[in-house]
Parts: sequence; C-alpha cells; structure tokens
Amino acid sequence: MSAETSTETDAGAGPLPAGAPDELDRPFWEACRRHELLVHRCEVCGRAYWPATCCVEHGGDAMAWVPAAGTGTLHTWTVYHHAYTAQHADRVPYIVAVVRLDEGPFVHTGLVDCPPEACRVGLPVEVVFEDRADGTTLPYFRPAG
Amino acid sequence: MTGFRPGQYCIAGLGVTEQGRHLGLPPRELRRRALEAALADAGLTRADVDGYIGTSSEMFEDLRHLGLAPRFGYTMQTGGATPAWSIINAMGAIAMGQAEVVACGYASAPTGGFLRRADGSAGGYGDFAYGYGGEYGLIGAAGAHALHARRHMERYGTTSRHLGAVAVAARSHAVDRPGTVGYGQPITIEDHQASRLIVDPLRLLDCCRDTDGGVVVLVTTTERARDLPCRPVTVLGAGSGHQLRNWWSGEVWDLHDDVAPAKATAFGQAGVTVDDIDVAQIYDPFTISVIMQLEAYGFCGPGEGGPFVESGATRVGGTIPTNTGGGQHSGFYCTGFTAICEAVWQLRGEGGATQVEGAEVALVTGHGGHGGIQNTSTHATLILGVDR
Repeated sequence: MSAETSTETDAGAGPLPAGAPDELDRPFWEACRRHELLVHRCEVCGRAYWPATCCVEHGGDAMAWVPAAGTGTLHTWTVYHHAYTAQHADRVPYIVAVVRLDEGPFVHTGLVDCPPEACRVGLPVEVVFEDRADGTTLPYFRPAG
Repeated sequence: MTGFRPGQYCIAGLGVTEQGRHLGLPPRELRRRALEAALADAGLTRADVDGYIGTSSEMFEDLRHLGLAPRFGYTMQTGGATPAWSIINAMGAIAMGQAEVVACGYASAPTGGFLRRADGSAGGYGDFAYGYGGEYGLIGAAGAHALHARRHMERYGTTSRHLGAVAVAARSHAVDRPGTVGYGQPITIEDHQASRLIVDPLRLLDCCRDTDGGVVVLVTTTERARDLPCRPVTVLGAGSGHQLRNWWSGEVWDLHDDVAPAKATAFGQAGVTVDDIDVAQIYDPFTISVIMQLEAYGFCGPGEGGPFVESGATRVGGTIPTNTGGGQHSGFYCTGFTAICEAVWQLRGEGGATQVEGAEVALVTGHGGHGGIQNTSTHATLILGVDR
C-alpha cells in the first residue's frame, strides 16, 4: 500500500496535531489513536523513516506504513526549565527526548515516568500513548520494563 | 572546478547600524541606514547598486524605501547561513554579468515587536521548524541545541563549566568593545554557573540575546574596488554543507553541522589549512556551537573543544582567537552577519581593543534553520582575506 493510498483511505477520520503541515502523516496519527506506533518503511530495502518521507536510496514508490515494536533507546535529551508557551507551562520541568526506535529512525518525543537523573544515552525505552482532550493521541516514551 | 579565483571578489563596503535592544526602529529603516553606511564606506552611490539580495522576508517594499533602482532584487532564507550565501549569490550574479555591485542587506528588530512572517502575521518560535517536536514542548533554538550539548557531555565528558568557558571568553572580548551587549559587563565562570537553567544543560549565560540592528555589505570585484576609496576584504573561498546528510547517516546529534563538505570546498578554494587561519568568527547562538565547530574544523580534536576553550586558546593572544568581538553571545545578534562584520573589521585592523595583530585570513561560519527535526540546516563557510 503506497503512502498516497493510505492517505486517501484515512483522510478526514479525526483531528491531526496542530503541528501537522498536511495530511501526509495521517496514517501515523490515526494509528496512534488506536495506540499503535507506525514507521514509514521502504519495502525495497527495509529502511524505516519518520515522519513520512521517501527512501534516500529508492525514492517514494515503495513506501508503506508498517507497525513498529514501540521500543528503542534514548539518544539525547534536554530538560525544559523555561516555559516558552502557555500550553507547556504546567509541565515544567519536562523532558524532551530523541529516541532511536529499534527499527532505526529518530523520534522527537517526550520522556515520562523518568527523573532527569535517571536519563542516560542508551536507556531502553518503550512507547506510551497519551490521549489528549483535543481528540489527538501523542506517543510518549518511558523507561522499558 | 569553477572559474572562481581566490580574491577575485570582495566586500567593498560594510554598513552596520547601532546594534542593541529596544532601538525603536523598524527593520526597513535599519536596512536603509545600513545601506547608507555601506555606500559611504565603499565610496559608492545608490546608482552603483545594480543588485539587491535581501536576507529578510519582507524586502519588496525595501527597494523603494531604500531608494534603489537595481536590475534585480530577491530574498533568500537558509537560516543563519543566509548572509554567507547572499555573498556567494552576489559573486555568482557578478560572474554571470548580471551586476557589478550587489548589496546584501539584513535587519531585524525582534525586541521592538517587529518579528513578522512573510504573510505579515506575528512570527513565532517554531517558524523554522518542521516535524512534531513542538507537540512535546521542543520550542525554540535553545532546546534544539541542548540536545547536542547533552549528547556531547555524555560522549566526551564535556561539562557545564566547559560551556561556561565559551561564554566567559566571548564576554572577555566584548567587554572592551563599545556597542556590544557585553560592553563594560564582564562575567566570571561563577556567574555562568549561577545563571538559571533554561533548557538543561544550557543556562541563561549559554544563550545569546536577540538584538535589533541592520547590516549591509556591498560585494563587487576586487578590480573595481581598487578604484574606490575603500579597503576591500576579499573572498578567498566559500563552501557549504547540509545537516540533513547527518540526519540520514544517524550522526545528526554527534555533529553540530555538516562542516566537512563546507570546509573542504572553502579551504580548497582558498588553498589554506586551519594553521593559516588568523581569526575564527564562528556562528555562536549557544556556547555548545563554538565547542563543536572548533572540533569539526580541526582546531582541536573531537571531544576536546571544552578543555580547548577553557585553556584560553580561543582568547585574543591564544592559538586561534575566536569571536573576537564577542560573537552573537556577547556582541550582537545579526544572524550570520555578526561573524562577517567582525571578520571584516579584523582584516581591516578595526578590531579595537581586541584587534589581532597581523590578521590576514579569517574564517567565517554560519548555520541555521533552528528547531527542525535535524536542528540546523545549511552550514556555510567563508574564508576572507586582505587584498594584497
């Protein structure tokens, strides 16, 4: 199933996060609502990506949204002590993390259930979904196990 | 290889307005004043300017307000690499016979509420971002750079005090340079350590401050400039690389920028090595940026940037005087023009209290496009020199 096909199939099914520039990542966000994590994978070489993209080796013809294990490792992180927007003010201090999924791609996310002093490069993490009042669901990560 | 010859083109005029907070002037007025200063500096008139490259989005009104009648005008946007790229574009336009003198102009007045998007709406922290980091509160350039800083600390043992050494060095240069934000206001490593955490590990004194101000540089051939009452600063080489290369390779947080191809092209054109660089003007919105670029350019080894700066090597009198005007951190924030201005001043011997004696070859770097999934976008290198 091509990215184009899945976009048409799922278009309009539910709200997208405010940061969504268009419909191209909709299959990912619809899956999140079902508490499933997807990656965008090239079916020629198996390389996985996020967000929606085309394969740097094989172009966009063979890209498909496929389930991810929902596990990965902490690659780097920062702890926000300053609230730049009202939306995030009540979370301060909060951790913004880069997780490397076991399938390969980097994911910008939030790290929860983890004190900053427990953070380390390579920490095994797993996905946890947060259903938000606006009808979107956001994947966060927490220490695995 | 291109037909470019090192030193063939030059910056014939540099116009810099007052730089600081709450100047109360809109950007186009700052650009007008910068243009007039640049024309006076070069000994040129408005009629000589036959090309205009804007590095801000709102320039179409500029040409009328600036009183220009060029043959072309356009804007560019590749973040903090835009000023270097505007000079590269100017040289290309001259090489193609489209102009003899190109003005590259910039001004911003963020502290005056003049931050605007191209469509006129108020600008925001996520303007140069893509991806979904903002959903998780990854807002602003500081957070994106903190991800690099944290990983550098984890990999190499870099400490907050190493970051602070960059801030103290920058301030030590600005403190004797009138017109900078750090003028007359020295800081110590203890001040840095006591400043509040913004985005751990970056503290307040790891971050530059937005300032208002404008800059125009006039680019022409060195041959033409020699007939003018100006002191041309020549372009010996230019290069560029894009951080997406490191995003695809998985090294995007191990490398601050894609310096390697930028350095190879620029240094190759100029025929220089790092040993030939007399002063380095490095794009420094945050302290970690200096450490990681010093490493990437080879002034020190990978992971050695913190101790290298702490040793005093980047101070005036050290092995590679860096950001001799205080940089963006303690000088003024004019995106990539901050480094270009200071390189021009150093090569003309106009560096005041922090002039590096005998400076003949300067490295200028720029990068930008903050907050996107791979942090920075284009990295640009200029090697500038004195006209011999």
